Amino acid sequence: MRQAGAYFLAQLKRAARLLPGQILADMIVCVCVGALACLLIAQGAASAEGSRYRIGMVGDLSDSYLGFGIAAVQEMDDSRFMVELVPMSEQEAQDAFLRGELYAVMRVPEGLMESVVYGKNDRLITYTATQGQQGLGTMVMGEITDVASTLVTCSQSAIYAMQRVLADQGRGEEIGRETDQLNLALINLVLSRGGFGDVEVLGYGDGLSLELYYFSGMILLFLLLSGLLNSALFAHGNGAVFCFLKARGVGAFWQILGEFLAYLLLVSVGLVMLCLPLGFGLERGLLGIPEWEGMGAAPFLAFLPVLFPAAVMFAAMQFFLFEAAEGIVNGILSQLICGIGMGYLSGYFYPSAFFPEKMRALGALLPSGAAARFVQAGALGKIPAAAWAAVFVWLSVFLGLTIMVRWSRTR
Amino acid sequence: MEIEVTGIRKAYFRKKVLTDITFSAEAGSCVAILGSNGSGKSTLLSILAGVRGADSGSFFYQGSDLLRHPGQIPKVLGYVPQGDPLLEELTAWDNLRMWYDRKTLKRELSEGALRLLGIDSFLKTPVRRMSGGMKKRLSIGCAVVSRPGILLLDEPSAALDPVCKENIRAFLDVYRKEGGIVLMATHDAQDLELSNACYILRDGMLHPWQYDGDFHKLVANL
Repeated sequence: MRQAGAYFLAQLKRAARLLPGQILADMIVCVCVGALACLLIAQGAASAEGSRYRIGMVGDLSDSYLGFGIAAVQEMDDSRFMVELVPMSEQEAQDAFLRGELYAVMRVPEGLMESVVYGKNDRLITYTATQGQQGLGTMVMGEITDVASTLVTCSQSAIYAMQRVLADQGRGEEIGRETDQLNLALINLVLSRGGFGDVEVLGYGDGLSLELYYFSGMILLFLLLSGLLNSALFAHGNGAVFCFLKARGVGAFWQILGEFLAYLLLVSVGLVMLCLPLGFGLERGLLGIPEWEGMGAAPFLAFLPVLFPAAVMFAAMQFFLFEAAEGIVNGILSQLICGIGMGYLSGYFYPSAFFPEKMRALGALLPSGAAARFVQAGALGKIPAAAWAAVFVWLSVFLGLTIMVRWSRTR
Repeated sequence: MEIEVTGIRKAYFRKKVLTDITFSAEAGSCVAILGSNGSGKSTLLSILAGVRGADSGSFFYQGSDLLRHPGQIPKVLGYVPQGDPLLEELTAWDNLRMWYDRKTLKRELSEGALRLLGIDSFLKTPVRRMSGGMKKRLSIGCAVVSRPGILLLDEPSAALDPVCKENIRAFLDVYRKEGGIVLMATHDAQDLELSNACYILRDGMLHPWQYDGDFHKLVANL
């Protein structure tokens, strides 16, 4: 026991010797992660608030009614804040589509307006989008096309019915004026449908704003990859140290415990290095997190203890990867591949709500997913027992596996 | 008899590495174990040091079977594995402090084994800046912390210059004269000059060998 304590102190000394280099590496990574977080948050905010879906319109656009309709939608309808309709030739649309400048292409078939004028609905407008954009937007556009098509045909039927009624009543001279009146009335009805429905955005990760989602995601990504910064601690050279320790009565359990506690010191320093600029940014209002708006760094300080269990669990995972990999280079590569892969699957780069169901389930099961659920719940102020349990289970699994690997190496 | 090793066997899965290791040594003796690469020399020493477990066999020292009571091993046995069991970022002092309390360390440095090994001359040097000879001497220094009666050395003179080898041999000579038992696995013919008994480890068994200075004859028998 005394020798296990001495080994722990020796590991602490090692960690202290590695600290200057570690702090420098932390600063570089903090700048990179911070820049990435700012970029993602800014991009997310732009897409949520500012950018519009650009849709190319091709085909038979010669009819004046259609031109009037497009102009009305672009100038008067509420959708003008969301959708930009751009008339263009087929070739122009193809080129723009391939360059990614268009969200989708709407193709108006020949004779569409004649079909509408005669009260038929037999010409289909085709709406083309790439598979990657087959999301909520595509679905909404499909629904809008359907609704518009029905509205136009039904309105036309109403106009024909009115014209027939006026003719039957011998009021033929009023037909032109009344048709214009009914057209305007119908257009007004369609264009003033602002209160037709309302979309409530709950946010990501069980209610987090996009900004807080990415903010926590970037901190987790930093923790997930911090093993790369601390790799020097794992440069044990050969297994002679472990064999010698065992011969002196310090078994695999005490070896791992001593090394892990020292490793946690480095991880904690890295976490503090990351949190200092983030806290400063929040205090000065440089980072806009809606949930913490106008509260300075106080909510972030309350949020910090939530990060620690996740940091310990990730540290255990990194420890296991370095222990299981043969050599320091393999250890670093496995950290990188696992870190990036897990981070992506668990939605650190992109909200996992957009992933397919199975991928989302897999991402949630991973250690990175358990940490994300834990931290996101912590950001909202209440961590469920299941989130605690998941983090604890992964921590135990990784520490247990690490001890097993060390034990098997010296048996 | 100070130590008596009987019937040690060890297999890794189906591969038998040691089939029947039996030998004995008296206080103040030095036993050299030779063998080709992969013959099991390091495995044998690590079993005796309590690092690896044996499938069967016994290792008696002063009437106690150390394989059955591995808790006693650190008190009576020092083990220097083939690589240097040192933490590279730390100085010689820091590495020694893992095993010695401050008072004992100072005493050993001024008049004990550590002085004999000449460790006091590079106490503040980080291990990563040490020569191979310094590292080996420091490793031995760490191993003899409990003034053990048995010292196991796995290739102690590998890749060392003649001065370092001589330095280590001088220490081992004093250690033996004080009643310690040295067991070493070696490839170096010069190490044999120090030994009272020599064994060749072949086919998982120890074969006694009388070294007469004919190195080619020795190689032919490995």
